[in-house]
Amino acid sequence: MKTEACQDANRQRSSVVALFIFIILSLQCIPLNAATVMITNERSGDLVFMNENGKTTDVVSLCNRPRGMVKYEAAGVVFVACSDDNQVIEFDVKTKKTTRVFDELPGATSLAFHESSKRLIISNEGYAKATVLDVDSGKVLASLPTGLEPDGVVITDDGSKIFVASENAGLVHMFDGNSYQAINRLMTNLRPRRMAIREQELWVSSEMGSRVEIFDIATQNKIDEIIFAPRGFRSEQLTPVDILFDQAQTTGFVALGSANNIAIIDATTREIVKYILVGHRPWGLGLTPDGSRLFVLNGLSDDVTIIDLTKKRPVRSSRTGLIPHSVEIFP
Amino acid sequence: MRCYVALVLSLLFSAPVFSSSFEVTVITSSSEKSQSVGKSFAGITVKLQRPVLRAVELALFESSTLFDTVGVHASLRELKIDLEADLQAQLKSIALPGVVILDLPLSAMERVVQLTNEMNIPAFNVRHSEVYLRDSLCLKNLYHTIPSDRMYFDALGQFLIHRDWRRVLVVQGPSQRDTERAASLIHSLKKFGANIVDVRTFTLSHHPDDRDKNRPGFLTGGVSYDVVAVIDSQKDYGRYLQYSTRIARPVVGDVGLTPTSWHFALERYGAPQLNERYRQLKADQPQAPQLAMTDAEFAAWSAVKLISNSISTSKQIAALDLTALLNDPATQVDLYKGTRGSIRQWNNQLRQPILLSTADAVVAIAPMPKYLHQKHYVDTLGLDEPESNCQLR
Repeated sequence: MKTEACQDANRQRSSVVALFIFIILSLQCIPLNAATVMITNERSGDLVFMNENGKTTDVVSLCNRPRGMVKYEAAGVVFVACSDDNQVIEFDVKTKKTTRVFDELPGATSLAFHESSKRLIISNEGYAKATVLDVDSGKVLASLPTGLEPDGVVITDDGSKIFVASENAGLVHMFDGNSYQAINRLMTNLRPRRMAIREQELWVSSEMGSRVEIFDIATQNKIDEIIFAPRGFRSEQLTPVDILFDQAQTTGFVALGSANNIAIIDATTREIVKYILVGHRPWGLGLTPDGSRLFVLNGLSDDVTIIDLTKKRPVRSSRTGLIPHSVEIFP
Repeated sequence: MRCYVALVLSLLFSAPVFSSSFEVTVITSSSEKSQSVGKSFAGITVKLQRPVLRAVELALFESSTLFDTVGVHASLRELKIDLEADLQAQLKSIALPGVVILDLPLSAMERVVQLTNEMNIPAFNVRHSEVYLRDSLCLKNLYHTIPSDRMYFDALGQFLIHRDWRRVLVVQGPSQRDTERAASLIHSLKKFGANIVDVRTFTLSHHPDDRDKNRPGFLTGGVSYDVVAVIDSQKDYGRYLQYSTRIARPVVGDVGLTPTSWHFALERYGAPQLNERYRQLKADQPQAPQLAMTDAEFAAWSAVKLISNSISTSKQIAALDLTALLNDPATQVDLYKGTRGSIRQWNNQLRQPILLSTADAVVAIAPMPKYLHQKHYVDTLGLDEPESNCQLR
């Protein structure tokens, strides 16, 4: 009897030790070399800095309603749309100071940056247009008329085409990237929000249409659509916003808004690989430079869900500012 | 007595895909004493009621880019009818293809809609929440973009249960409409598991004997409750219940926390932009500041947007068969409330979320969490298919 009891105790002790070792090992599994993660927060008006593990390192007060943000990695800066100031600012990531201010950009919302031509595309929410800005000279190169409530903007890698989504009109406006002439209008489902380009495909999220529509850039014809159905949600609750591809453009990520999930998509087959439950109303998405982690901004729970993409599992949730909007990550 | 309002749609873009046109006719009545509606003693406005025309103009303005793109021309016309004269003759001038928006008092709407229904013209009820219009009148060419009483009160019922305010004292007015709406309210509250502790009725009489009976402290005394639900269609007496109840409890219903379909203070889902456009639409015409659309205006705006939002995905564009368009189960509308709207196939009611609002804030948006429906997210609000006496499609 005694020996048996003793063995039991030993077994318990060894399992406790094993658990400790497991915890220590799993802690070491989290990489300690930290990327610089930056998050704009539209209500608290600040930029939250955190490392790759979601530990906040700094909070910098920025401007009124910072929303869209895009990085210019070679220059070590980000551009941030300060919607309520009608400005776009250039912010130095190292010195954490605003280095330039581009004025008179009313309702600046979403941004896209074309690095080789140093052009910034800015949607002007409430003004039914998008603006093309030369960041070297600070001059406006063009004003692109759109339907009401322009949001997402993208430019092709070669800079030859610009797309602007008009939420209210249910259209994506296509412009020539050099002459800035309107080329076409692509009819989408309800409330097109954000776009991403993959090879010759334009992926458009339809927030109220609960789907992602895929257009062929050359013909501008709709070629496919992805309809979401995570367990426990009705179609109307699926409100996709941000779309992001990994470096190789083989995997796509879509934030599903009110459905509190993100979808991982095989970009070549367009099959949904997995849904991952995150916080409330995920919109903004960002990938670490090595592609190992996905940062998901939850606009209504004021936090970020960090997803380990090798395991396809959330590893941590961290506090952000109020209403996190956009995320950019520097190595 | 006709007033034509033309909406000029600028053709900015190249050759349209196809070309067709339709007209939106807003029917109003010349005899309605709109000045006296919703006024209380000393001319105080207690119930905001405005013509819906401006909201229709806004919806057409918003739709113009898409209409340009697909090559659809939409025109707008206000038809002011004389209720004393021959209605049929007056309605003959409705342009087709087209839809009509009925900005009419209930009795007038009922007369007009019988005729438009026979003429197979799609008509929108944008002002009346009466359940019988959906459930027993049940006309195939009548669509309801204003929520029904059931939808409003189901939203309120869900909210009360969500807050665990289960014991409800109902205080209602004396009118027939008050009784009808109180019955709807009680039905909704019981459906979601609330306990009606008592139903009290106030009067609007001037008799000295009634004065004490109508004192809020007396009317809400002698019983224990979590919340007072007021039905006061006149929006007159009920205003004085808040802060005057016998015990300190919140007041909901027609005063205090109120179910509405639209609100100036909705700050999500693009609503601020829609409100801003509504305010700016006639910025050059000096008039009383208007914060946001009333529920009726929002319903009229929804009706037009239902058409323009569905044209892009519909197969029936070239022929522009508006009845087919509206009856297509895929017909949908972006309502700026976080969930798209669509038409219930059984009774032509626009399904939509309901806001629970105070004078200056949207406190919650129903359906409340954990109220789940097997088919449509918002179908826990209002008459669901199995309980509907109206089975149109």
